[in-house]
Amino acid sequence: MSATMTGLSGDGVQAVSIGAAKPVGRLADRVFVGLLWGCGIFVLVLLGLIIAMLFHGGLPAFRAFGLDFLWTATWNPVTENFGALVMIYGTIFSAIIAVVVALPLSFGIAFFLTEIAPPVLRRPIGVAVQLLAAVPSIIYGMWGFFIISPLMAAYVQPPLIEWLGPIPVIGDLFQGPALGGGMLTAGLIMAVMILPFITAMFVETLESIPPMLKESAYGVGATTFEVYKNISVPFGRTAMVGAIMLGLGRALGETMAVTFVIGNATRLSASLFAPGATIASTIANEFPEAAQGTLKLDSLLALGFILFVISFIVLALSRYLVRSNLKS
Amino acid sequence: MSLAVRRAKDYTVKVVSTAFAVVALFLLAWILFTLVQKGLPALNLNVFTRMTLPPGHEGGLLNAIVGSLIQIGLAMLIGTPIGLLAGTFLAENGKTSKLGHIARFVNDILLSAPSILVGLFVYAFLVNPFGGFSGWAGSVALAILVIPVIVRTTEDMLNLVPIGLREAAYALGAPQWKVVMMVTWRAARAGIMTGILLSIARAAGETAPLLFTSLGNNSWSTDLSRPMASLPIAIYQYAGSPFDDWVALAWAGALLITVSVLLLNIISRLVLAKTG
Amino acid sequence: MTSAVDPTFNIASSVAAKPDAVQAPTKVKVEGLNFYYGQNHALKNINFEIPEKRVTAMIGPSGCGKSTLLRVFNRMYDLYPGQRAEGQVLFDGVNIVGKELDPTIVRTRIGMVFQKPTPFPMSIYDNIAFGVRLHENLSKSKMDERVESCLRKAAIWDEAKDRLHTSALGLSGGQQQRLCIARTIAVQPEVILLDEPTSALDPISTSKIEDLIDELKQDFTIVIVTHNMQQAARCADITAFFYLGELVEVAPSDVIFTNPRQIKTRDYITGRFG
Repeated sequence: MSATMTGLSGDGVQAVSIGAAKPVGRLADRVFVGLLWGCGIFVLVLLGLIIAMLFHGGLPAFRAFGLDFLWTATWNPVTENFGALVMIYGTIFSAIIAVVVALPLSFGIAFFLTEIAPPVLRRPIGVAVQLLAAVPSIIYGMWGFFIISPLMAAYVQPPLIEWLGPIPVIGDLFQGPALGGGMLTAGLIMAVMILPFITAMFVETLESIPPMLKESAYGVGATTFEVYKNISVPFGRTAMVGAIMLGLGRALGETMAVTFVIGNATRLSASLFAPGATIASTIANEFPEAAQGTLKLDSLLALGFILFVISFIVLALSRYLVRSNLKS
Repeated sequence: MSLAVRRAKDYTVKVVSTAFAVVALFLLAWILFTLVQKGLPALNLNVFTRMTLPPGHEGGLLNAIVGSLIQIGLAMLIGTPIGLLAGTFLAENGKTSKLGHIARFVNDILLSAPSILVGLFVYAFLVNPFGGFSGWAGSVALAILVIPVIVRTTEDMLNLVPIGLREAAYALGAPQWKVVMMVTWRAARAGIMTGILLSIARAAGETAPLLFTSLGNNSWSTDLSRPMASLPIAIYQYAGSPFDDWVALAWAGALLITVSVLLLNIISRLVLAKTG
Repeated sequence: MTSAVDPTFNIASSVAAKPDAVQAPTKVKVEGLNFYYGQNHALKNINFEIPEKRVTAMIGPSGCGKSTLLRVFNRMYDLYPGQRAEGQVLFDGVNIVGKELDPTIVRTRIGMVFQKPTPFPMSIYDNIAFGVRLHENLSKSKMDERVESCLRKAAIWDEAKDRLHTSALGLSGGQQQRLCIARTIAVQPEVILLDEPTSALDPISTSKIEDLIDELKQDFTIVIVTHNMQQAARCADITAFFYLGELVEVAPSDVIFTNPRQIKTRDYITGRFG
């Protein structure tokens, strides 16, 4: 047919040429594949660099305070005495509040979206719930500070302090003046923020359940809720726990929304209403006053490293759970 | 349990679940209503034509808006090619390789890692050693946030392209770069665009990573080597201030940013729904 | 081993007389070919010759290795780590299995059409031009000529000529498959591999493709994998029967469908298994 077609004969394999563009194409292919690998490796290097830089930056603080840094409740820039306990406590506690509040809502909304809502409405309502995740966190911060905190101060905190405060043990959670902000307010606002993430993964899991499984349960006369509770949720259990962990991971690192409402007090307090701090809010809040080369800046970087380790563990666990469920 | 009790239980749960969905919609409406109620009165021409000024001087947000646009634009220029290629790597070359598995895991971590730590990282990596806060540093921080979003959506979307389409292109004697660029990317372009739009939305709303990188700037500056203003940082400064006119401007900025971000989200979903 | 075939067997009636089938020179020669998917030994010591400008059909039950062999011919397995071929496939005397030969060159000379139509997400014209541009630098008018001639050869010109620059995804399944054939011949290969090309099509589209195969063998060596024995009988000059990774029997189609030598072949074509 064409003249170049004779190339592939005899032992002249090397002589094969189909147009002069061929060697160029091969070089381009090498460059392209090299770029793909390079960018894949870049992602790895990026995470490694982040961990290394945070650790390196926090190293002077770890040297100065040792492991005591983790369980010291002092944060005193004047005496240059720093410990992370208050922030670690605040970070974990507020994130747990967020998950505890978001969880029933997510279960309900996922049930609504997969079983109750008319098919026409599923998509628009699902998208609207997802839009909650798209609202920037600083907007949540302002909404929390200007709208939610005053409501908490006026209608939620005073009665809780009055009714639950006198009870022994539990009462410790409901002490102090009703300032509006604090751990509970931060947790509630973060609950709204992580709700869409958890719900979306719930819905995805529930939709992946083989219809036959559900149909056979309906076949023996189960109600919609019974199928949900006894078939769908147990089937997707692992992935759903993973989804909850992802929500927790998101809440642990949330910065702006928390900074606006938590009060930024570096004192340890059991009360849900007392001002507190999280690692992220402390970094955001104290960084502007931390001069380069000071132990304070080093301590903030050390806090960052601790937050990274906590988030990493939670997110890795979440991913493991979600993927292992998808595989099975 | 009698049938009546079971039915009642089923009915109750359905009512409660529906109520929860209504609560979620109500919360979204409430946030949007608050933004419109507080932001719209403050949203006048000054916002777009004037610099940030001291309280009482009828300032605007011009430098912050421009600063945000510059930093987001640059972040996308840095992040899009890296994210696109890394996502392609995961879908095309990283299926079976060990590096692929690790990179996918790492990307999932980066996707949900606290954004403030990305800011802290860029501070320690670029700001501290290279002469201070700058628009460059802010752009790099945003790029790092954008990359995992693009990687993830690119990989997911490329995985939806039928293997037969790739094989058909290879069967014509095409090298991999042509197969990917002319066939696979093209087949997945709506999905990839969605990922890019979503990542712009993410970058536009981020505040925490800019705190320690581009810092903010109250005067006009398009010099990337100097501190640069941005909308989220201006909102953060103003919202926490005791001055009414600044707080009002913060609400105007908040409305602006939220509407843009939500529109980007809705548009990207429409792009996907239309072609996918 | 030779035994009388069930007289009610009706495929025989559709077998055309193809006396010159074996007289053609060999285009592809398979020698001692083994193929592995990881640990799985999918093709076992295959020896087999494919005549030039004839239609060779490969039949057999699912998983028998016929598609695997087809994918060895154009090195498609190269895309997947863990798949490997041992032995030789001689194309005009050159071994095309083995690392030293660039698979893109092999694929240029040995084209392939797939089970499901695979139109690229671009215009009809660009679908054809895509492959051509990979290997040749044609002027606009030469390219137009090439596109037209390929679409004519693939019997889709009349349906496509008024919409050349619209998306190929708008064509029907049968039209898409003919477009894919046009796209394959546009690169001017010598061999065309067809992997169950009509299994996703309706009967009318199928018969159009079969007519097309008959036309194409004037210019190309054709290898077709099919599940449909009538199709093999109608189209193929030579038919090879595979079973469990082994080549059981290869013979001119009229022979294999009327008087197979192997019991397994007879059982398969009479529908006793498979």
